[in-house]
Amino acid sequence: MTATGGGPALPAAGTAALADGHAPASLIARSRDVRLRTVLGLARVEAPLLARSLLALAGLIAGGAVVWVLIATMQPLWWSAGWRIGAGQLILGMTVLAAAQLAAGRARRDSMTDLYASFPATAGTRTLGYLVGLAGAVPASLVLLGAGAVVVQARGAIGSPSVTVLAAGVVLVIAAGAVGIAIGTRFAHPLAGVIGALLMFLPEATSHLSSGAGLWLVPWDILQNQLGNLPGPLAGYPPAGGHLLELAGVALLAGVVALAMTVRGAWARGGLAVAGVVAVPVIAFAAVAQLSPVPTTELNHLVTEIADPASVQHCTTANDVRYCLYPGFGRDLLSLEAPVDGVLARVPARPGQALTVGQIVAPQDITNEYLFYGHSQQQVTRWNAQIMREPASVPSASAFYLSVGRWPAGGGRLADAHFNVALTAAEWAVRLLSPDTLPTEQPCVPVDQAREPIAIWLAILATHPPASGLQNDGGMTAVEVHNTLVPTWTNAGGPVGQINGSAPQLTDAGYLLAKAMTSLPEQKVSQVLRGTWATWLNEHTTDARLAAALGIRMPSVPKPSLAGPGPGQPGLKTVGQPGPQSPVCTS
Amino acid sequence: MDQMTLNVRTAVVRVDGLSRRYGATRALDQVDLTLERGITGLLGPNGAGKTTLLSILATVSEPDAGRVSAFGLDPRDAAERVEIRRRLGYLPQELGYHRHFTVAAFLDYVAILKEITDRRRRAEEVARVLAAVGLEDRARSRIRALSGGMRQRLGIAQALLGSPDLLILDEPTAGLDPEQRLRFRELLSGLPGDPVTVLSTHQADDIAAICPQVVVLLQGQVHFAGTPSELAATAAGRAWAAGERDDRAHLSWRGGDNRWRHIGDHPPAGAELVSPTVEDGYLMLSHAAGGR
Repeated sequence: MTATGGGPALPAAGTAALADGHAPASLIARSRDVRLRTVLGLARVEAPLLARSLLALAGLIAGGAVVWVLIATMQPLWWSAGWRIGAGQLILGMTVLAAAQLAAGRARRDSMTDLYASFPATAGTRTLGYLVGLAGAVPASLVLLGAGAVVVQARGAIGSPSVTVLAAGVVLVIAAGAVGIAIGTRFAHPLAGVIGALLMFLPEATSHLSSGAGLWLVPWDILQNQLGNLPGPLAGYPPAGGHLLELAGVALLAGVVALAMTVRGAWARGGLAVAGVVAVPVIAFAAVAQLSPVPTTELNHLVTEIADPASVQHCTTANDVRYCLYPGFGRDLLSLEAPVDGVLARVPARPGQALTVGQIVAPQDITNEYLFYGHSQQQVTRWNAQIMREPASVPSASAFYLSVGRWPAGGGRLADAHFNVALTAAEWAVRLLSPDTLPTEQPCVPVDQAREPIAIWLAILATHPPASGLQNDGGMTAVEVHNTLVPTWTNAGGPVGQINGSAPQLTDAGYLLAKAMTSLPEQKVSQVLRGTWATWLNEHTTDARLAAALGIRMPSVPKPSLAGPGPGQPGLKTVGQPGPQSPVCTS
Repeated sequence: MDQMTLNVRTAVVRVDGLSRRYGATRALDQVDLTLERGITGLLGPNGAGKTTLLSILATVSEPDAGRVSAFGLDPRDAAERVEIRRRLGYLPQELGYHRHFTVAAFLDYVAILKEITDRRRRAEEVARVLAAVGLEDRARSRIRALSGGMRQRLGIAQALLGSPDLLILDEPTAGLDPEQRLRFRELLSGLPGDPVTVLSTHQADDIAAICPQVVVLLQGQVHFAGTPSELAATAAGRAWAAGERDDRAHLSWRGGDNRWRHIGDHPPAGAELVSPTVEDGYLMLSHAAGGR
């Protein structure tokens, strides 16, 4: 071996055509097939890594918890539940974004860029592998979707799921992953993914600031409250198809951006430019579609359903009680009948006018800003006027109404709702539902009227609510009647079931006497009531007389105390603060 | 020695007039080389340009001037660059790892990036290189659980995936214990297909042991290209052993036999001329270039 002046070396057998400086075409023919197989090979590694990542797992758990909380507090109406399941996908998407960013920035973060640069698989091929590897997030998304759907179904779902809404949730997760990869190809530090995830949530956190249909442009609007109060799905609201398209466009654009940062070839860059040119109008078109007002015909139909439920509701008479429910809500019938029948079975005689139990959409549950967006003020005013004429707005001594979407699917809240229905039915039975009081006005107070403890006693025996739901607040709240503070009672379970009607404001005295009555054998109380039922319904028949007839002592009523927050209901006040005078219930 | 070339039996890689600057620092200056199949050792002090040269050969970085050709392919062309990479195994000087990967998973991942897409073949390749570096019993271990030496062997293993035609190893024996170094020599000597192998090292005895060819890079220039014995010969008549230290020597050090070894042009009093080693030759070149 000698040192020479740098002359060319000789080519040899087995070595590529070195002498002429050009490679044979066979050597440089880059097989698309090889590249495709490399992408798929990478994806087959990246997908399980993503699926098994702690971040994705945490997202699945947190997303599941969010879905559970959102579903558990609502009546399982599919037109609302689908969006609530999507709220869990938002949480999963945030963690998938962070996990995808970590994957895409892995080589740089681990000081392996030089080694990676020496591989035949280019950065573009790797990025494509990461993007295809996002398939690893799909199982988690489907698990979330499936689990949410099972829960909704198990809780007695009403309506049917929208494939578009559910699919949009899955696409949201994929779009988030694509954004994570785009971030990771540029910023390798893990904090970049965290910031990306937080930015993804930011529009949701500030969605209350957006006006009109702008709400739907954020990645996902979690609460969707209004949907759960509608009596059925409303075509074009929310604009699920547009949102699905927007998310798909975002996923495409993020993928294009990620690839644009790694691909070098002119042809590839040209292709990406075309894809980007497609993605942007798709997003813009989707945005315009989402900002479009809900069609007038749909809103007209909805307003009619609200103002005149009888035109669409199915009514059933059972045990001489009329139940009117919106289509699809028939399965609530048994749940309503049981507490009402429990009361009626113990009532010696019913009022002449039969009881009607119906469903309504409460006007306060309709938010004009989102529902009527884009329509003229004149039209909105007209719709609002119609809505205000819903049945519960008229005082009635023989009807009460449940707000759509407020009926719990199970658990302790259902027991509370049953008790509330039974209590209202009992108030009807003892003629405490006032035909003169609008639901929005101050309710009357049956001060020292025997029919009040009787109504409470009937409701307790009809539903046997848990003791925790029947506690009184020890004189924390009171109303002023004839310039005297009267301690009031509201069952601790709260207004579950959202019953609308002209119900009275009950008192601590009535509750305490009813509670004392439950210590007596039911037969004995029934016997006393049956004998002089008409007397007990008289507004002048006092608690003391009832106690005497039953042979029990009048319980002592706690004095109104001087502290505690007021419950904020009409006519109720915190003791010590001035308030309006409440009327006494009359027959 | 501006233009040094190995006159080789099978020149596969050719470097012509390669230059690279980092700001004001000239990392490579008009380097000409041709490399043949077999192992070529690259010797040079820190900052001599070894890593820069190897990263250009590995198509990881580009020169400011000059050109490289490997297997007749020009890395400036994207398609040809990929083709070179398909035949390349590279161990960078400083290699991080995906520490949460297992050893086998990491190699499998690298194998995919090397376009070994057939699963069975990939599994065979991973098993082969693991056995080659003696890590077969650590296949399921997380990389973060490996010692530094094991990680270095893992780095060598990934470079061997796909039986590359061009193997570029930047200080592959750093961090290896003596036994592992010997095993490494055995491994390189027995590579199938007789690939073009370039390894940079500070270990002159590694060069002497396994490299038929050696290149000395000093201050960005090739100062020697030849066989190890030719490199040793550059110190012929200038390596001495004596009982005392001699300040006129370019370099002096006391050996294990308690005698002083001198490299220099003037024999110390009572000195005995000794056979020069590769290290002696390298030190003479380095001294001549003003590197010391």
